[in-house]
Amino acid sequence: MTFLFFVVFSWFVVKAKTRRQLLALALAGTTAAVLVAPPRVQAQSSLVGAIQAVLNVINGVIHSGLSSINSVRTANNNFYRNVIWPVQLINLARAQVTQMIAQYRNLMWGIFRINPSSATLPATQQLEQVMRNQQTNDFAVLTTDYGNAYGPIPVVTAASPPDRAMTDMDDALALDTLKTLKKTDEAGTLTLQAGDQLESGAGQAAPGSSPFLTASAVVASIQSQAVTQKMLAAELRQEAARLAHESALRKRSATYTGQVGNQIINLLKRN
Amino acid sequence: MKNVMTMGFERWRCGLRWAWGHKLRVAVLILVLVMLAPRQVKSQLLDPCCAILVAGLTTISSTMNNVIGGGLTSILTVDRAIQNFEQTVVWPQQQISQAQSLVGSTQGTFTTIQNVTRIPVNSATLPGPQQLEQILLSADANQISRTSTSYSVVYGPVPDATAASQDVRNRIDMADAAAQAAMKRAIAIDNLANLEIQAANQINQSLQTAAPGSAPIIEAQADAWLVRANAYTQAAIADLMRVRAIDLADAGANIKSGATNTSNLGQQLINLLKRQ
Repeated sequence: MTFLFFVVFSWFVVKAKTRRQLLALALAGTTAAVLVAPPRVQAQSSLVGAIQAVLNVINGVIHSGLSSINSVRTANNNFYRNVIWPVQLINLARAQVTQMIAQYRNLMWGIFRINPSSATLPATQQLEQVMRNQQTNDFAVLTTDYGNAYGPIPVVTAASPPDRAMTDMDDALALDTLKTLKKTDEAGTLTLQAGDQLESGAGQAAPGSSPFLTASAVVASIQSQAVTQKMLAAELRQEAARLAHESALRKRSATYTGQVGNQIINLLKRN
Repeated sequence: MKNVMTMGFERWRCGLRWAWGHKLRVAVLILVLVMLAPRQVKSQLLDPCCAILVAGLTTISSTMNNVIGGGLTSILTVDRAIQNFEQTVVWPQQQISQAQSLVGSTQGTFTTIQNVTRIPVNSATLPGPQQLEQILLSADANQISRTSTSYSVVYGPVPDATAASQDVRNRIDMADAAAQAAMKRAIAIDNLANLEIQAANQINQSLQTAAPGSAPIIEAQADAWLVRANAYTQAAIADLMRVRAIDLADAGANIKSGATNTSNLGQQLINLLKRQ
């Protein structure tokens, strides 16, 4: 492009007729040459300034930023180690669990296992033993021993149908409660074992693993509450049956009173 | 060849003569040519500007290594210390696995408890009591509505107005009501207890696959269930207390009614003696 311009410009210079034309060509040529000339190279001082600016950014903003982050992370590290999870206190807690297991577990287990049986006669001794053995596979034995101690339901010829029904219901609910207690005794023993397991686990746990044990302990508490409710339900049935029994006796008493009254009136009428 | 050289030499002389005769034009051409001539390229080795650039970049690189690299290394060191502490002290994988395994082993205990609570305890032998007992032990809230009928079969209905005094009928009806309500509550409580055991097992199972960060959420849910379970227990105790209160009231009413009857009997005897 520059070469083409120079060739054309040279042709015009050679062909110029007058000095005025030559002067005009010279002006136009130099102006055009100035316009197409490459830009100036920047001064060396501005390059130094730019480099210095980059260095200032690194030494200033970036350096102080990284220092701040490092300070915060170090503070967090120290906070975790000294305040939230100090290893010394974690070990102390584990040691306390182990120490308390040694101090209480066998002692309490021994107290809990003291046999409170008190019957003195063979039939009642047998019943008491089966009532308290915490087994759930000998309900038939319990029924037999209960019958031996409290007698069977009167035969048809020995009692009225309402009496037989009420006796059967009383016996049934008493037996139901005794069986339920055998079940809850076994469940109670299992709950105690679960408690022991969880406590032993706590003695080896880390702060991050203990939520598992806590949650499992809460689950065990729910189970234990459910078993307590079942015991209360059995007690409710039994108390209700006792009240119903008294109520039935009153109904019969009312009937008998009416019948006796009528008989006295009839007797007096005859006289 | 000689002719060509001779001709070229003649043209060169002719050009020089023209240039000598047109000095101004030649000067203008030279000026424009100089202005259009390409600029000199700067040498990488000898130019001071490049040396400054190299020195600057070296300084920047060194500064980045020291300031940024050093800073990041310090942060990495602290982060590694935190990571190590968390992995070995706070959340050690071995202890977490051990806790999960313990939860699994308690699950076995809970399942046994659930199985134990399901063992039937029915004991009645006659048809009427068997039916009532079956309803009472059903642990099914849908059976509650059948309680009253079966109850009447075993314990009889409230006497009609001609068979007993209003006072006696009231006491019988109240006692029956309290007894039936307690039986109904017992069915409901059994039903609730079974659901609680079922939920507890579900919660414990989900705990076995939980993470240390999600276990507290499950624990919170279990806590909520425990709160509810306490409320159900209280409801059962409340009904038990009601039954006993009605029983006590009944015993009191017996004494009152005995006193009234004795007084009436005395009066009637006096009247009888007066007539004779």
